[in-house]
Amino acid sequence: MNATERCLSRRALLKTLRMAGSGIAFGRWLEPDVMMDQELAPGKAIETFTGPGANPRWNSVGPYVTEPQKVPLILLTDRPVQLETPRHYFRTTFTPNEAFYVRWHLEGIPNAVDLKNWKLQVEGNVNKPTALSLSDLMQNFKPASLAAVNQCSGNSRSRLQPRVPGGQWGNGAMGNAMWTGVRLRELLDMAGVKSGSLQVQFQGLETGQGPEGLGSNLFLKSLDLGNPVLDECVVAYLMNGEPLPMLNGFPVRLVVPGYFATYWTKCLTWIRVLNASDENFWMKTGYRVPDTPRGNTTPEDVKAGKVKTVPVERFPVRSFLISPDGSSKIAAGMIVTLRGIAFSGFGRVNQVEVSDNGGRNWMAARLGDDHGAYSFRTWEASWTAKSPGRYSLAVRATDEKGNTQPDEPIWNPGGYLWNRIERQQIVVGNAS
Amino acid sequence: MKNQVRAIFLLMCSLMIAGSAVYADLKKGNYSPAQLGSIQQAVPAELSPDSSYEVPAYPVPAPELAPGDGLSDVRIYCNTCHSPRYITLQPSLPAATWATEVDKMNKTFGATIPEENTRKIISYLQAHYTPENRKQ
Repeated sequence: MNATERCLSRRALLKTLRMAGSGIAFGRWLEPDVMMDQELAPGKAIETFTGPGANPRWNSVGPYVTEPQKVPLILLTDRPVQLETPRHYFRTTFTPNEAFYVRWHLEGIPNAVDLKNWKLQVEGNVNKPTALSLSDLMQNFKPASLAAVNQCSGNSRSRLQPRVPGGQWGNGAMGNAMWTGVRLRELLDMAGVKSGSLQVQFQGLETGQGPEGLGSNLFLKSLDLGNPVLDECVVAYLMNGEPLPMLNGFPVRLVVPGYFATYWTKCLTWIRVLNASDENFWMKTGYRVPDTPRGNTTPEDVKAGKVKTVPVERFPVRSFLISPDGSSKIAAGMIVTLRGIAFSGFGRVNQVEVSDNGGRNWMAARLGDDHGAYSFRTWEASWTAKSPGRYSLAVRATDEKGNTQPDEPIWNPGGYLWNRIERQQIVVGNAS
Repeated sequence: MKNQVRAIFLLMCSLMIAGSAVYADLKKGNYSPAQLGSIQQAVPAELSPDSSYEVPAYPVPAPELAPGDGLSDVRIYCNTCHSPRYITLQPSLPAATWATEVDKMNKTFGATIPEENTRKIISYLQAHYTPENRKQ
């Protein structure tokens, strides 16, 4: 019996069953081999790109993909790898390692690291260049732990108007983890920074096809030696108490609390003390923002050459509604719990407010446990919509420095620093 | 007795009508045929207690690129440093922005795409990925 005959005979059987008038609706759900030639119902998948308007969705619009050591995440690019974390993984304070977003710059990402050969080098303008194995890092130093948000400078880039080139992230280029490792300061002290040094440069295992000396060959980032953030930095070998996934920087990555992820060098292997300012592409040209309030400017001012830029550094205060996410209807009169997260690179979030009329009136949300100044802070609020309709829920956070999320968009050519108040439409239906 | 039967009959009729009013818009069992996407469960890695820590190859699903002149140049030259998904990832961009992006690959990132091929790549992107003409 070939496939066609099998289908025909099954159809005949189903017809007989239906004619027999059985009380059970046999054949109502046809098995896949009968349905094989039917087209998929249209409109099941979202659009594959957005623009020239802003991306209207919470996440970016790519398909899901499963990469090594990861659950299915949203694909931005595959070579090098850029993956976004779906919204629902932000219900908790700590983002699971297997769902943590991924962003590489160059295609030479390690697939294997042999810890017999791998050593973290502390070199350059130091008295005693030092090489440390992972075992040395784990055994010879007192472990330091801190909760810190890692957020891509271009998180939410797809909101900008006009759109700018680059990874078209929705809001999921961020994550929070408990990082454990060695304090950077201890490593610098061990090697002995020579006087007259200016910066410390970080290099990981990532390499590109481009010629030596260009940004397409190496990804390098530096921080000023006088920057107090160096005292808070950790070279982490644990992420949420587990080894780092390769795509998140195994065996160790730099943690720079409060700073955008561009400084959090993955697969960190060279810590290099410089006696001159780092002029490489990723400091001098890439990851720079206008030296203006909020890093805001206009395409006209950029074109006119009026914009002075500085390296992007700390991330501004942000907050998100995670659930409900607008995908389900809520019945009027139901007491639902609004849940989300908030964070700031400038200090603890100490206030989160929610609005159900798009930001005209605000009420305070309850804050979750405090895991430190640089962690996600969860928040909750009870909400009851008394009557059916469409509601615009908005959320805004304020940090301990008094920074509050503004309601104005921003624009800069790199697509960095977006932190406008978020809104989510929720549909409420009749309960009777 | 006859009246009692009639009363029960009427009561049952009214209950049936009421019942159908309650459940008339209760939809159930609506399924649709679907294809499984490309997301298969991965085979767990074979691990050995040595010093090497390894993950399998990173997958590169081919992006759907618009057919047209210059596509072969895109596949050859752009693919050197990154997959062409870097094209489909972008929002629809103005023609001038595409020219800037491709020029950046040569001038800033040191790509050595011959002038003729650079021109063909720019024309291809401008013909398929601007707000006026982008379809996929």
